[in-house]
Parts: sequence; structure tokens; C-alpha cells
Amino acid sequence: MPKASKGVLVECDPAIKAIILKIDQEKNEYIVEDLDDTHLMVKDSKVQALKAKLDEELKNAVSYPDEDDDSDRG
Amino acid sequence: MPPKRKATVSARGVGSAKRLASGTATPRSRSIGSSDEYTEDGEYGNGSEADGPPPAEERRRVSNIQKAVKAMSVENLKSRGKGPTKSKHEATASIGFSNLSYLDLKPDHEKRPLWVDAKTDKIILENFSPFASRAKDFLTTIAEPLSRPAYLHEYRLTSNSLYAAISVGLEAEDIVDTLDKFSKTPLPEETRNFIMNSSKAYGKLKKVLKNSKYYLETPENSILQELVQDAVISAHLVSSSKDIITEKAVKKGPAVIPGTREAAGLIQQVDRQNNAQSDGGPSGHANDAGAGKDDEMFLATLREEDDDEDEDQKHIHSVEILRDSASLERVIERCWEMGYPVLEEYDHENDEKNATLDINTTSKTRLRDYQETSLRKMFGNSRARSGMIVLPCGAGKTLVGVAAACTIKKGTLVLCTSSMSVVQWRQEFLKWSNIDPDDIAIFTAESKQKFSRSTGIIVSTYSMVTQTRSRSYDAQKMMDFMTEREWGLMILDEVHVVPASIFRKVTGQLYTHCKLGLTATLLREDDKISDLNLLVGPKLYEANWMELSQQGHIATVQCAEVWCPMTTEFYQEYLREKSRKRGLLYVMNPRKFQACQFLIDYHEKRGDKTIVFSDNVYALQSYAKKLKKFFIYGGTGQVERMRVLENFQHSEVVNTIFLSKIGDTSLDLPEATCLIQISSHYGSRRQEAQRLGRILRAKRRNDEGFNAFFYSLVSKDTQEMYYSAKRQAFLVDQGYAFKVISHLNGIENLPGLAYSTAAERRELLQDVMLQNEESWGVEQIQDDLFSGRSAHPKGKVTALAKKGPKRTAGMLSDLSGAQDMAYIEYNKSRNKELKVQTKHNPLFRKIERDREKRKAARLEQLKEVRSMR
Amino acid sequence: MDYLESLQGVTKNQLYKQPSTVLAVFRRMQSHLAKNLVMALLYMGRPIAVADLDSWVRPDSIKEREITVVQLERLAILSVVSNPGKPKAYSLTKTFANSLRLALTGGGNHLSFGVPCSDPYGDPISIEDLDEYAREQWESVLGYMVGNPWKPTGSKGVELSEAVTNLLAFGELITIQSKGRKAQITQKGFAFLLQDVNAQIWEILMLYLNRSADLRMERVEVLSFLFMLGSLELGQSYGKSNLTQTQTLMVGDLTEFGIILDDESSPVFYPTRLATTLTSDSGALRSAISSTTVEAGTPGFIVLETNYRIYAYTSSALQISILQLFSNLKVRYPNMIAGKISRDSVRRAVAQGITADQIISFLDTHAHPQMRKTNPVLPPTVVDQIRLWQIEGERMKTTQGYLFREFEDWQEYDRTVKYAKDIGVLEWKNDSKWLFFVHKHEQLASFVKADKARRAAEGR
Repeated sequence: MPKASKGVLVECDPAIKAIILKIDQEKNEYIVEDLDDTHLMVKDSKVQALKAKLDEELKNAVSYPDEDDDSDRG
Repeated sequence: MPPKRKATVSARGVGSAKRLASGTATPRSRSIGSSDEYTEDGEYGNGSEADGPPPAEERRRVSNIQKAVKAMSVENLKSRGKGPTKSKHEATASIGFSNLSYLDLKPDHEKRPLWVDAKTDKIILENFSPFASRAKDFLTTIAEPLSRPAYLHEYRLTSNSLYAAISVGLEAEDIVDTLDKFSKTPLPEETRNFIMNSSKAYGKLKKVLKNSKYYLETPENSILQELVQDAVISAHLVSSSKDIITEKAVKKGPAVIPGTREAAGLIQQVDRQNNAQSDGGPSGHANDAGAGKDDEMFLATLREEDDDEDEDQKHIHSVEILRDSASLERVIERCWEMGYPVLEEYDHENDEKNATLDINTTSKTRLRDYQETSLRKMFGNSRARSGMIVLPCGAGKTLVGVAAACTIKKGTLVLCTSSMSVVQWRQEFLKWSNIDPDDIAIFTAESKQKFSRSTGIIVSTYSMVTQTRSRSYDAQKMMDFMTEREWGLMILDEVHVVPASIFRKVTGQLYTHCKLGLTATLLREDDKISDLNLLVGPKLYEANWMELSQQGHIATVQCAEVWCPMTTEFYQEYLREKSRKRGLLYVMNPRKFQACQFLIDYHEKRGDKTIVFSDNVYALQSYAKKLKKFFIYGGTGQVERMRVLENFQHSEVVNTIFLSKIGDTSLDLPEATCLIQISSHYGSRRQEAQRLGRILRAKRRNDEGFNAFFYSLVSKDTQEMYYSAKRQAFLVDQGYAFKVISHLNGIENLPGLAYSTAAERRELLQDVMLQNEESWGVEQIQDDLFSGRSAHPKGKVTALAKKGPKRTAGMLSDLSGAQDMAYIEYNKSRNKELKVQTKHNPLFRKIERDREKRKAARLEQLKEVRSMR
Repeated sequence: MDYLESLQGVTKNQLYKQPSTVLAVFRRMQSHLAKNLVMALLYMGRPIAVADLDSWVRPDSIKEREITVVQLERLAILSVVSNPGKPKAYSLTKTFANSLRLALTGGGNHLSFGVPCSDPYGDPISIEDLDEYAREQWESVLGYMVGNPWKPTGSKGVELSEAVTNLLAFGELITIQSKGRKAQITQKGFAFLLQDVNAQIWEILMLYLNRSADLRMERVEVLSFLFMLGSLELGQSYGKSNLTQTQTLMVGDLTEFGIILDDESSPVFYPTRLATTLTSDSGALRSAISSTTVEAGTPGFIVLETNYRIYAYTSSALQISILQLFSNLKVRYPNMIAGKISRDSVRRAVAQGITADQIISFLDTHAHPQMRKTNPVLPPTVVDQIRLWQIEGERMKTTQGYLFREFEDWQEYDRTVKYAKDIGVLEWKNDSKWLFFVHKHEQLASFVKADKARRAAEGR
């Protein structure tokens, strides 16, 4: 008899998946199942926290040129 | 419902003035012209563009120069006016932008093309205005171009740009009047003051060389008096000449530049004058029709100083400077600090001491409009001014240099960055001018010729003339020959890549009346541009890339930024890494590799010749080997370099080559029509511009609908995205548009696509992770492609010396037996089939030995490469 | 019109007692066929049989005729006359017909078109002043929506009352931050801004109408007053004495939007051009306000360069505020403002709910004539980049649901996954791992059970 488990399917590109894996590494509290290169299943209750952490990590991964206050070629 | 408001029409202020009450002025710091213009925050280190960290002495000098430049800052100049000007600007904090809407528009503002912002000294130009082309000519003379896309251009007035404007002969009153006439609003008082104050300081003091002695010269005795009393300056003057020499000034009309239409007698006297007045810009003639009286109005103010001064024959006062390079520089520096930047001018027509060189452009030589314009800036009032001319690659910088030499007609020195360029320069001289081949000599490690007659041209490299240790007997004799005489003109090629210390040595040792710096871009990520102003001279002219492209002088280029997603595995490692190894991960991203493979395949099928650039040598080799392509980097021997390049240019065998950073400059490959960039020097705008320059002279550029291609491959979600945006900034402001490609259509279906399985990608990742620090960053080498002088044992260099100059078809047959050298070396699958063929070639065996050596100790070699510096 | 259709029959009947309402409805009718039909019926005086009706229109327009008739029926303008023994026939409803006749002939003493005031009570107000006033009020409303950070130049600052801001929030055009009542525009609000003024006014009035119910205002009175507005004459003052209490309140409210000019202490009010062109399809209003208000059809003023710089030939505070929603403005000259579109500025806009497409369409609609010389009008690289900047924020797509696993064999997996696909709940599957994800599981669970039972039966 097959089982059905409740959760949230996350679809993302491989880089984002890498970040999620990294976030999960600490306490393994997000991911239920690593599905494939672009899909993961995560815990329902953790989705919001995950999104917030993802944004943070993305900021760390790449910084963008500062808003060109007065730099002309920026 | 809420209570009603009182609402009467009068209370609504119908038709009330738009003027805002003047708020308090926000304090703000004024930027100081180009040193700010070209500086970046340098947070990503390794920004040293030309040489390593300067020695202590160098640093001291740099800071002195900065001080000097600061002394000329806009703030200072403005406050010299009528005391602190009360600013009308309202505080901008609340609305986020600077509000100048209180300015009054002139009634006919629609005809006038400019807006001037006194706060930032920025000028916006309406490029579709009927007077745009005139305004552009004018602005390129007096201001720094910031952005020049299709419709609206931005410029900025800086102390350097005004210095340049005044040094090419404009007067402050003219600048102010013309600016006011072109402007949609009355010229702000602050801007007016800024310009007027500049004129007091600029252009009054000149450095001249007479009988191998340097003099400071000025028509205003008071300035000289002030200078002589300065302790620093007087310490560096020849003591006996503290008494100021006074003589009558001689005035003449503009010099005739050979190769121009007027010189060819095509234009009549009247036109000639017109040209001179409007500075003869390329578009100066374009919009004449219908412009009528307004034209006159605008033109009149552009007149140069010539006429006025004829009447009251002015006197010239001068003092002599001590004859050593330190004194010379200190005096010039001090004059800047005191607010009197020194101009260098050469009255070549009246120089009777130095022999005249028999040189003229050939009858077939025709200068393009912009080349002519740039030279007019250099030769204004019959004298030659020192300074820099900025033209994009492929726009004929060499011809400008040749024409300048033909105008001055005195002994000329040309300094280049590589021995290959030396050869090219000589060839260009022979091509464009009637110079006797015996009168033009080469001074390189391999060749130390002199000219036989009393004067002539010597072409050499910066390193040859500045090398201090272990100079051979021949070389020393040659140097003596060069330092003993006065030179009329010194042409400094690729002037932006050469460190200031080199210029000091050059100018200290060689006596030249006039210096002309040539370059494609004055961008430097450090602040060495102000050094150039001091050591070479102001920027005399900077061309507009888009215009040259539209006129077909340089190729039209399609630019694209290809976004390559990181694979999960690579990105996981990227996130873990904090070191510079990150750089290797985004360069070696398998998706980027695939994109590169796909693009090479696509363009080879189209019949393009492709150059792939990689600063990272490990990546360069990995990509090239995997894709079975030829490559050249710092460690590639001269013979092999030549062979690969020959084949790239003349044979169908090689359609794609991989080049490291050494190929960024002075490599002339007109066959190339496509560039792919896989790894770059951080956020260097200069490198981006230089690399683009590699395809601007594409041979096929004038074919109907021809486009060259420039791809920058960038790994998504990595720091590379940031660098990429930075790098493009300059080109984007020149009007180039980078198209973002987030997916290459059909890439999945490319037969033999590399790293298409997870296993392959893992293997690649393992290999990448095993690489040590040497492989992480960009190639640590300051050489360019052909300056192998110090990098290789003597024997090899001699081989190049023999073959180097003959880049002819004949050479191809000489080498045909070994043309697949690089294949043999790096492509194991084809190794066997070529062995029989190549065994006979002694040259091959030599290369083979080299290869063995390299293979055995790649690490050793990288160290070697480093030590070459 | 849609709103009108939705009203109850009694309400409609009440509305149609006002000739001005009827005239306004008549003028707003979309199709000429409807107008012709109504005019014909109005003076025929007797019902017309369906067959005869069909003979009026060309055979290929029968469908259009049907749509028109249905619409008129819904508006309670047309009604079926059931007369046993005779064919089905239509006539105009009595109230509508009477009112329309009155409106057209100007008869009666209904005061439905307002009471023109011959004594202008103080100095008469010029049309120019009215236009200026309307422009200023309307702009400050729109300006407020885009979070206008500073008061329109020259005025003492138009303070908008809470009634206005609440109405905008009610319509979900903005959200109001509790602190300082600063507005944050919504995606719907930005779409609203992109419409022409006439459509904007209508939308605001519809909101007003919907909200009037909450405020216990008499709907019929509200509606008939709105229709009356459209029939008033610009430059003419109207007396307030005959207005109902609800309508007097409305005068005050509409004054805030610049639709009416009113002074509380005065016995008269003036309609502005915003009001008088409401029910006409003329573009009069456009030309009057176009120079300052955002709308389609005005000459373009925006130059967008390949280097992401943006130059807007405008001095309108409103337009500047709109630009500021998605670009970083640098310097403002009397007739032009310069700025730059950047990753940050676009992402800021996206975070506010403005879409990349809306930004692009705004730039495209208002592109400067110089830019119109090229095709495409906007630099494609910049357009792409704006879209990409939006996508950048949408890196992760999440779907709630259930992961099915641990199937006994391939057949079981295969059948179930196919069923999931058939009923449209499948989100993801992996055939080699025998895993799939669905967003609903109830149906599937029973399918699995049934399947199991069936297989068990078969196996036996």
C-alpha cells in the first residue's frame, strides 16, 4: 500500500537547490525528500523560514553594484 | 462623511509660480575631476593594472600628485570667485533627486541642446537637437564624456577637461559664452565662476625645451615672479637664470597637417578658416544647411585666440629648470599645486637647431575626419602640444601618430609595449609616409639599429629604454645615442597601460619637445590617470565609439551576456568556499563550459573566426584541451605562439583559439569576428573595452550587414554577475547594448555536449577541487603577447627576431609541417597520426622537449611565470 | 453599465424617473444599433414584433441584434410585451420612455438636469480656472496613490481627507500604512494609473457607488446625481437647494476629486470638465488635462537609453512620482527629469506589486517621438533586463500537497500516476524512483483503495 505524506513541493533551479541543501545541512529541519535536480519536498511548517533564509543566502552569495549615488559610470 | 474643506479658487493658487522657496544648501563634497572619474573602490583587490604595489618612493609621489590635483579642485576654484556662493538648491534628501526646476527656460529653449547642472558640473546633451553636432564638438573639447548612447549624452566639466580645453587654445570667455548659448537655461553662476577661475590658472605657463634646456615660460611676468619666489621651485632652477629672461613673442597661424584635405588643396582658404574656428569636427559640416544665422552665433564664439593677440605683441618671460628629471618633475608638480598647470608646447617650425626630417604622408594617405580633428587639437597655433589622443582599437591610432610625426618633421621616438608592435609601427610608417627606410630604425633586444643621417625615427619598447640593469654593450651605446640628442616628438603607444614610474624614467632620460600619448581607453581602475595628465599632458581628443561604428570605421558588434546557471554540486562548493577558489568554481561551471562549446560550434559553422579569452590559465587549458582547440598563454613559447596565430589568420585548420590575458592588447587579428569571454579580470572596465577592441578592426566590417560578436559567459548567482555588470559599464555608456541570454536554444541537442552526465560533472568538480592556489585566480603576468623578452631564454627570442618581422604568407609554408603543433601537444587522440609527419622537423623536437619539461612541472612553470614580472 | 444591470428592477425604475439618468444611459450605450433601436421604439408608440425587428437589421447582424436586445432587457429598457395570441413583441419600459422623451424635448419640471443659477453668487469662475482646479485636485489624488513625497509645486499642498484615501484603499488601489497614512500603490492601482482619465473617473465613481451602500447613502440618489453630473454644462454654476441630503454630501465628496468645485458657504457649485465629459464619449477632457495627466494618446515624453538611463520630458509632479516608482531619479530640470532604471529600483517596484510588464507598457506607451522612429521602440536589452530582474525575485516555486511513495510494483505506481494526471492533480513525478507529488489527494486515496481491492479480486 503506497504512502502519502503531506508537505510542500519546491521547484527551483539547481543553484537555489544548492542553497537550500546548505541551509538544511545544519539541523536537517527543512527537507523531507530530495527529489531531483530541480525539486525538493520540504516541511509545510518551514516554508516561510526557508524563504527568508534563502533570500539572506542569496544576498551573501552575490553582491551587486551599489546604487550609483553619484558614480557616473556605475 | 468628513467635513468639507474651504475650497475657493484663489486659495488653490491657480497659476501660482512654480518656484520653490530656497531651502538650505546641503553640504556636499566636490569630486575632483578625472581622478574620481576613473577610480573604483578596489575592494576586489588585485586591481593593480600595470604593476605591483608601488615602492615607497612611488607612493610618496602619487600622493604628491593627488595633493597637486586636489589643489586644483573645483571647490577651490569656485571659492576663489566671489567668496562662498549661496546655493539655490533645495535639500534633496526628501525627494531623492536634485531639483533644478526653478531654473528659467529660455524662450527658444527647444532649439538649444544642453542642460547644465552647476551642482555636479554635469551637462546633458540632446543628441537629436539640430545643433547637437556642433555642441558635441564643443563638449568633447571642454568636458569629459560620460555616456554617449542614442538620444541623450552626458558630459562633465572637470578641472582636467578644462585644462585640456584651454591648452588646445580655447579661452575661458569663449567656453562660458558658447556653453551659455547652447544651454536651455541661463548658464548657472557657479559654472561660470568655475570656468572663469580656471582660465586664470590654466594655459598661462608652458614648459619649453631650448638647446637641451628646459624653461618655464609665461606671458605674465607676475606668475613667474610668484613661482620664482617659491622655495621648492627656486631650489630646482638654474641659479644664474633666476633673473627672468624676457623676449618678444612670435605668433603664427595654425599648422598645416599633412594628409588632411586642406593640405591636399581640396579646400579653399575660406573653408579652411571656418574649419579651424569650429575645430573642424567630423560632423562640423553636417548640419550647416538651414542653420543660418544661429550658426554664426554659435560659431563665432568658438574662435581661437589667434587674432586678438597679434596687435599687442606680447612678451614672454622664462626661467631655466635644472637639467635632471627629478627637478623637472618636482617643478611641474609644484606648479600644479600652486594652481598653474604647465603646458608643453613645441614651436617646431621655428626650431632651427634640430635637423628637419624629410618626411611627409604619401599622396594616397587620407586622414579620416575624426583623425583630422584629433590632430587639430594637437596643432593649434603652429605649435605642437603634448597630450593624449583616445581612439578605439581599430580606429587608426597609428596613422594619427604617423601624421603627427609628418607635421613636426623632426627626430621622432616611438615607444610601444611589445617588440611585435615595434615592427608594426615601422611598417605603418613606411606605408603611410614617404620616409626613407634607412631613416627609421628599430631598437629592441634583437635589433639595435641607428639611423645614419642627422635625424630620423627610432621605434622601441618601454622596457628597452627604461631597463637599468644588465644592459648589453650594444644597448648601452644605443641608449647613449638616444639620450644625447633632442627629439622633436615622442609617441607613447598604449599610454594607459604603462606605469607612471616608466614615464618618469622615459621623460627623465630622453629630451623631447612634444609627447603624444595614444590609447583606446583612458580607463584605469586605479587613479593613475591624473599621473598621465601630469607626465604626458591633457587629453586632447576622445572619439565616440558609436559614431565611428555607424560610419563604418570600426565593426558593429553584437554584445551578449550569457547567463550560465551553476549546477547544484558546483554551487554547493561555491557556497562553502570563502577563498578565491570561488573564482575557479564559477569559471569551471560545467554549464558555462557547455555554453562555450555551443557558441564555438555555432560560430565555426557560420564561418567565424573565434577568440576565447580566459584570464584563468587552468580554465584556459582545461577548456581548450577538452574542446581540442589551440591555445596561447604566458607559458607558450614564441615559436608556438607565432605558429598558432599564423594558422588562425591564414588557414582553415584553426578557426578558434584560446588566449589568456596576454592577448588583451596590441594583438592585431583582423580575421577575428567573434569573441567569447569565459574568465576575466574582476570588474575591469578597461579589459572589457580592450577585448572588445580585438574585433573592432574586423576585416569584414564593411560587408553588408556584418556583425561581430562579443559574448561574456557568466555563472549565475555568483560574484561573476557583479563583476560583469561593472565591467560593462564603460561600453554600455558608449552606447553598446548587452543582451542577456538566459538560455541558448538547442544547447541540449548539441552532439557531443560535454559534461552532460552527472558523473562527468562530478569528475570535473573533483578535479577542480584538487587544484591548488596557483590555479584559482587570473594569470599573474604583466606581459602582453609578444613581449617575451625577459620571459624566455635568449635562443628562443632570437628565433622570433628572425621570423617576427616577416608576418607574410611565405612563412606559412615554412611552418606547414608543424602547423598542428598545438594539436599534437594537447590532443592525445590525434597525437599518433601526426607524429610521423612531424618527426622530421627539428623544430618540433625542440618544442616536444619543451612540452615534456612543462608537463613535468606545471607548477614550477607557473612560479616561473610569476617570477618573470 | 454592468453595474446598472446588476441593480434590482425597482431601483432601476426609480432611477429612470430622472430624465438626466435616462439620457446619460442612452448616451453611454456602446452600440449604435441599441441607440437606433431605442429611438425607433420611442416614437413608434407600440410594441414591435420580433419578426419585424429582425427585418430591421441585415441578416449578418442578427447575432448583434440579439446581444443588443438581451442587454437592453437586462437594463430594463426593453421589455417583452406578452399578448396572448400575438407573436412575441418588444416595447420600451414606460418609465424609461417617458423620461427619455422629457430629456430630449426638454419638457417637464423635473429639475433633473440641475438648476442653472442665473445669479452667479460672487464672481463667476472661468473655465480655465475650473480646469486648473480639476487638474490639481485629480493630480493630487493620483499623486497620493504613488506615494507622492512632496506637495505639488506652488500650492499650499492639497490635503486629502480620509474619505478619499479610504475610498482608494476600499478599491484596493492602494494600501495605507498606518503610520502617517502614507499610500503604497498596489498592482491594481498601477493598472488604474495606466488608464485614461475618463476611465479612471468612472472607476472611482463606481467605487464611490459601491461604498455608498456601506455608508447608508441612498443608492438611487447617488446614481441619479452621478448621471446628472454628466449632463451639466461646463462653466455654469448650479444651485444646491434642490439637492437631497445625500446629494449635498456627494457634492462635498466629489469636490475632493476635482469633479465638482464647491464652497461650503456658497449656495452654488460648479461641475468641472471631469464631470461634464463623464457621459460623453468626446475626448474634450483629454486635451484639457493631457499635458499633465497620465493617459494614453498623449505625445510621448520618455526616452529610455540602452545604458538604462531614463530622461522624461515632463514637469508634472504626478508623472515624476510615477517614474519614481520604478527608477532612481537624479536631477530635475524645468522641462526634463533624468534618472536611471536599476536592478534595485525595479525590484523595489516589483516588491510593491508592480509588474515588469506594467513598467514596460508604461514606458512604451509614453515613449518620446524620437524613440518611435525605431522599431522596437524600447531598447530590447533593457526590456529583457527589466523582466529578468522581476524573475530574479521568483526563484522558488512552492506547492502544497502530498508525496506518494512506496508502491508495491510498477503497475500500481503507473496506474496511480496516470490517474493523478488524468484528474489534473499531478505536480511532479519520477518514474525511476516511483515517486510523485500531487496537490490534492482525496480522490487518489480512494482510487488507490479501489484499485487495491480490484487487484485483490483479480488475483484470487
